[in-house]
Amino acid sequence: MNKPNQAKSKFVAVASIAAELSAVMQVAKEISLAAANAKAIAFRAGEKAKGFQPITDFINELAKETIELVNKINEHASSLYQMTVDEHRLAEACQYLETVYTLAEDAPYASSLDEPMELAQQRTQQCRMQFTTHVNQLLEQLEEVMHPARAARVIAANSRIEASQAGEYLQSLQAVAESVDNAAQVIHDKVQRCRSALTVINITE
Amino acid sequence: MKMTKIYDGSYQWIMYGRDENKPNNIIDTNQYIIRTANRCLLLDPGGIELFAPMLAAVLHHAPVEEITDLFASHQDPDIISSLGLWDQALPHAKLHAPALWEGFLRHFGCQTIEYVGIPDSGGTIELDGTELQIIPAHYLHSSANFHIYDPKAKILMSGDVGAGLEADGAPIFVDDFNAHVDRMRFFHQRWMPSNQAKRDWIDRVRKLDIDIMAPQHGRIFKGDDVKRFLDWFESLQVGIAI
Repeated sequence: MNKPNQAKSKFVAVASIAAELSAVMQVAKEISLAAANAKAIAFRAGEKAKGFQPITDFINELAKETIELVNKINEHASSLYQMTVDEHRLAEACQYLETVYTLAEDAPYASSLDEPMELAQQRTQQCRMQFTTHVNQLLEQLEEVMHPARAARVIAANSRIEASQAGEYLQSLQAVAESVDNAAQVIHDKVQRCRSALTVINITE
Repeated sequence: MKMTKIYDGSYQWIMYGRDENKPNNIIDTNQYIIRTANRCLLLDPGGIELFAPMLAAVLHHAPVEEITDLFASHQDPDIISSLGLWDQALPHAKLHAPALWEGFLRHFGCQTIEYVGIPDSGGTIELDGTELQIIPAHYLHSSANFHIYDPKAKILMSGDVGAGLEADGAPIFVDDFNAHVDRMRFFHQRWMPSNQAKRDWIDRVRKLDIDIMAPQHGRIFKGDDVKRFLDWFESLQVGIAI
């Protein structure tokens, strides 16, 4: 991939991660709301939904955990964006300085450019290495977000079983289980897309 | 990039411009440097498109480590959008630019270069014993705008004031003031917003002893043409778009 396209794909990838994460955050908030709703229903159902009550607390915990993780990842993604900007600027400066070399061929002070050129190249290299390290860390953090999402799907399955014991509350609790399951699936898919975008950047490095 | 020495005393003023390789759709600009024994000040170093030819041209007169100062009269892209590249090229430089524009100019990239904010009242830049005056020129055209006056060389670098829209390869100096007026009229009437600001600047500049008035676009004024310009500008109504 040539340099401008590579830079472009990085900007796009980092921006798309921010967009996906913002959607994950929204879904996690929806799960939290579903948990509160389920708790109210379970309370009304009393004995019939006894098994459902601890599950609602657990769903709420998972939502909270996801929100905290996404907040951390967002901070990381912001610094990754800044690194993309820095690297782009440095790479561009190196290209311009190469042009200066060509144009200043007969200039008496052309060699004074050697040091800034070397420095800019070193900084670009450092920036690239730092970027790769951060991408790998971000990939690990995204893997962590998958855990609560997977757990939420298991809980959704348990919730369906518990809901079946809840008599007239069956439909309401099943709807809660359904929405948790869907939300967990959405989070899973969005995080997976973030990971794919990051993996593409790492390959092109 | 054409290089013209406009002052040659114990230090030099050099003008760079009329770049033949400049893309056609960007406005032509004049860049100036003041080269003293060990230092070099770049005045309105130009847009990003001009960075490479400009630095290559300056390397005929100074090594990069002696390019110690940049001055930006205001925030426009043709003045200083090259800042992010100078920031990588110059290891120990300062940018003298309006304090008001700092948060905006830093968008171009300014991590290595030290930003020295100029207060609204102006100030001075000292260069190997030569003291340059920073003259306020607010609202001409930018809300925070400065010019550089060198009392020894008697040169006023006047930014956009005195600018003319020229065809490629125009002469460096004004040779027929009356004919030149047509190239300046619309530029000043449309880009300069305030008659009050214009009068304030003219009063200030009339007190200076000026041999050369060097704008950022078009031709340079010498001798009596400086006074002719001030008289013409004084009678011109500006801010015509409303």
